[in-house]
Order: sequence, then C-alpha cells, then structure tokens
Amino acid sequence: MNQFLDFSLGGIANGAVIALMALALVLVWRSSRVVNFAQVGQAMFTTFISLWIYEVSGSWLLALLIAICAGAILGLVVHLLVMKPVRRADASGAIIATFGVLIALQAAAGMIWGGDPKAFVPPVANSGLEFAGRIWPVSWYDLLIFAVTSVLVLALSYVFTRTSFGLAMRASALNPEVARISGVRVSRMLILGWAMAGSVGAIAGVLIAPSATLSPNSFDLLLVFAFTAAVIGGLDSLVGAVAFGVGTGLVLSLVTGYSDASNAPIVSLVLLVVILLMKPDGFFSQSKSRVV
Amino acid sequence: MLHIHNLTVSYGQVVALSEVSLEAPRGCVTAVIGANGAGKSTLMRAVAGLIIPKSGQVTFDGSDLVGVATDERVRRGLVLVPEGRSTIAEFTIEENLRLGGLWRSRFHQRESIAGVFDLFPALAKRHKMLASTLSGGERQQLAIGRALMAEPTCLLLDEPSLGLAPLIVQQILELAQQLAIEKNLAILLVEQNAVTALRVARTGIVLNLGEVVLHGPAQQIAANKDLRHAYLGY
Repeated sequence: MNQFLDFSLGGIANGAVIALMALALVLVWRSSRVVNFAQVGQAMFTTFISLWIYEVSGSWLLALLIAICAGAILGLVVHLLVMKPVRRADASGAIIATFGVLIALQAAAGMIWGGDPKAFVPPVANSGLEFAGRIWPVSWYDLLIFAVTSVLVLALSYVFTRTSFGLAMRASALNPEVARISGVRVSRMLILGWAMAGSVGAIAGVLIAPSATLSPNSFDLLLVFAFTAAVIGGLDSLVGAVAFGVGTGLVLSLVTGYSDASNAPIVSLVLLVVILLMKPDGFFSQSKSRVV
Repeated sequence: MLHIHNLTVSYGQVVALSEVSLEAPRGCVTAVIGANGAGKSTLMRAVAGLIIPKSGQVTFDGSDLVGVATDERVRRGLVLVPEGRSTIAEFTIEENLRLGGLWRSRFHQRESIAGVFDLFPALAKRHKMLASTLSGGERQQLAIGRALMAEPTCLLLDEPSLGLAPLIVQQILELAQQLAIEKNLAILLVEQNAVTALRVARTGIVLNLGEVVLHGPAQQIAANKDLRHAYLGY
C-alpha cells in the first residue's frame, strides 16, 4: 500500500506537465482543428532559449518569462509561416506539415546547441522531502511544478469562462461562421490560440527539463503522453486535457514503478486505443452533442 | 440603407446569382422570394461578406463594401441571421446574446440585452440555460436577439421560417415588420414562405434561377396569380 502511494504521488508532478502539454495541443485543436505534433518541438526550442537565459542571468523566473514570450512568438511564426499557407492549399496536409516543423525545429536545435544532452538545474531542490519520519517521493521542485500548473490552469479557465475574450475564443472554436457573423475577428482568435498554445507548451518544457536532460529529442515521449491525454479528454476540452494529463502521469508512474520505465509509452498507446474503441469522442468532448 | 447593384456570384462554372439589383430602405421589410435553388441564400451570404461575388456592388449607408470582412460589416450595423437557427448550442442563452455585441461597451451591451429580453420574455426567464434546451422557434428568437445585440441598422433574415410551425412563422415575420418600423431598421427578408413574407413586406422581389424576374410592391406580387403559378408554386 505504501508503495502504491509512493508511485502515485511520484506521478503527479509528471502528470501536471503532461497536462500542460495536452492543454497546448487542445488550444491549437480548438482554434484550427489540427493536432500540432510540432508542439513539443516548439517547447524544446524555447526550453533551450530559456536554459541559455538561465545560465547567463541566473534567474529561473526570468528564464521562465522569456520561455513564455518565446513560446508565443514561435507559435505565431509556425502558424503564419507554415500552417496558414498549408491549410489554404490542403486541410489534410496541415498535420503532415506539423511533423515537418517538428523535424525542422529538432534539426535547427541540433545545429545551434549540439546534440549532447544538457542539464537544466532546477531552481529548488529536486530530492524527496522528509516529513513525518519518512522520505516522500515529492520534492520542493515537484511542488513548484504543481503550483505553476495550478495557477496557469485556473487563469486559463477564468479567461475562457469569464471574459469577453474567452467567449469570443470559444465561439470561434465551436462555430467559426457564427462567430464571424456575430462580429468576432475569427482569424485573430486563431492566431492568439496558437500563441497561447506556444506559451503553455513552453512552460511545460521549462518545468519538465530538470527531470531529465535537455536535447533536441528529449521531449518526444512527452508528445506521446500528451497526445494520449488530449485525445482521451476529447481534444477540445481543457478540463479533459488537465484531468487525463494528470491521470496519464499517475498511470505511467505506476507502470514504471511496478514494471519498467520502457513499458510506459506502450501502456500509454494501448490505453489510447482501448479507450478510443470504447469511447471514440473522448470523455469531455463538447462537439458530440452538436447537431449540424 | 442597403443597395445591391448588378451582383453576380458563381460557384466555379455555375452561376448562382446573375446581375441582381435591389435596395432595402430603412423602416420596412423588403422580401426576396423564390423557390429552392433560386439563389436566395447566396444573395444573403454575399451581402454579409461570407462569399466573394464575381462582380457587382454592395453599398451600405453610402460606402462600398468590397473587401470589407464579415466581422467589420457586422460592426458597421449590417448583420445576418443565417438559415437554420445558428445559435451555439453549448453556450447559455445569455452567452449567445453577449456574443453578438462583444466589441461594444459593457453599458451598451447591458442595455441591448435588456431590450432583447423585453422583446423575448421566453429567453429572459431562462437566460442561464443552454441554447440546446430551446425549441426551434425560441432558437430563432435567440438568433435574432443576438443580431440585435450589434445594434444593427440593417438585418438580413435568411429563411427565418424554416422548419417552424405556421403560427410561429407568422409571429417571427410579424416581429420582423415590427422591428423595421419601431427601430427604423432596413430588413432584407429571404423566404420560401411567400404568402406570409409578402404580407409583412413593402416591396417584393422574385428570384428565379439566380435572376430577378419581378420587382414591385409586395401586395401586387401577392395578387398576381400567373406569377404565383410560374415561380412560387401555389
């Protein structure tokens, strides 16, 4: 029982990062109906930038802020330079194009920063806390991850449900034509969706980097897990992305704990297939109730 | 005031509208009638800026609308209520209404919402409920209410009667007439239901296969038996 508790607790921080990356995928899906496989590439790229700022300035907070800005800008660039022209030509080509962007970003990062893994030193201790006479599988850094994620999710849900901007964003996602004839500048909402996704992904990248090392390919597995979480959550649901992001983190931690870390991606994909077979719309999808 | 001059729209090789000219003055309903496939919805979508015409002009309050995006037309007061109850089912009634005037000040939004609720008490009672819980007629009211949130000077009503019971159709079309007169709106109404539409309109335009075949006072068109047989099928 103790072991189960340890494995579960150990998965929460990881799950929070998966949730953030899943959120980024959902934000892009809601604005353009495209799964952006380049999202982890963008996050990897901004994390390298962030690491550089961190090493130069010594301030983790500044590094995080720069990552957020760089993520937004990179999201804009990918949307305007690649996705917009491609979508005009052929809608199904867009998904292939996101893979192209991913590969291009990884190659560019390799050329700039080299392929050797780099260490991203966490700003606070990353070793298990001692509390009530035992060592727990939760560190100060895990708590920081959890705090940043919670604040971000709360802020996003506030923006989406309580502000005019959020209403316009949601309308553009649910029904672009109705949004347009209501006076919403839909193309602007689309651009903002990509920028927001870029920022959220960038935060996820900076948060996860200290758990491993940073290299051009180090976020590839994160893509698999985030994609699983986003799809199971219904792809267009922020709540679903967060819930199943954390859930995926838990399951992976249990699998890793009881068997072996190399089984985690397989379990994640099997889970995805099984759940999609039972519930093709995912759990929180809003679109299934629509009548066209 | 809305002017349409020699508007031509084609989908590839197919000409959907051919040199259509008409005007919709403020303070009355102008009805465009015609059978299925006559080009009525194409006309509305072109005027709203959702499709780009091949040639011709649309002028609104004296300015040419060529190259003006749909959302900008809405902000200038030219608002479309499209065919098929275009509300967002996942939004509450209040959210659907707010969507129609998000760029306006909070004060003006609140004022307009109060106006819409006065007009449609059924919506006011359930403003926190999802639009998907409404009946067909109420959803049409909601779509019109959302358009009114933009404080328009011209409303484009595309087949508001589609799929509604005769009594509700009558109510909705009479409401159009009332809005035109009380708020001094220019209303361009597209309808398959010619009888009721011509009853509330001042001017009627008969569209057949993308061309205007008749343009005149609504009462005259309603009284013209041959024409009804030829184009309107009753």
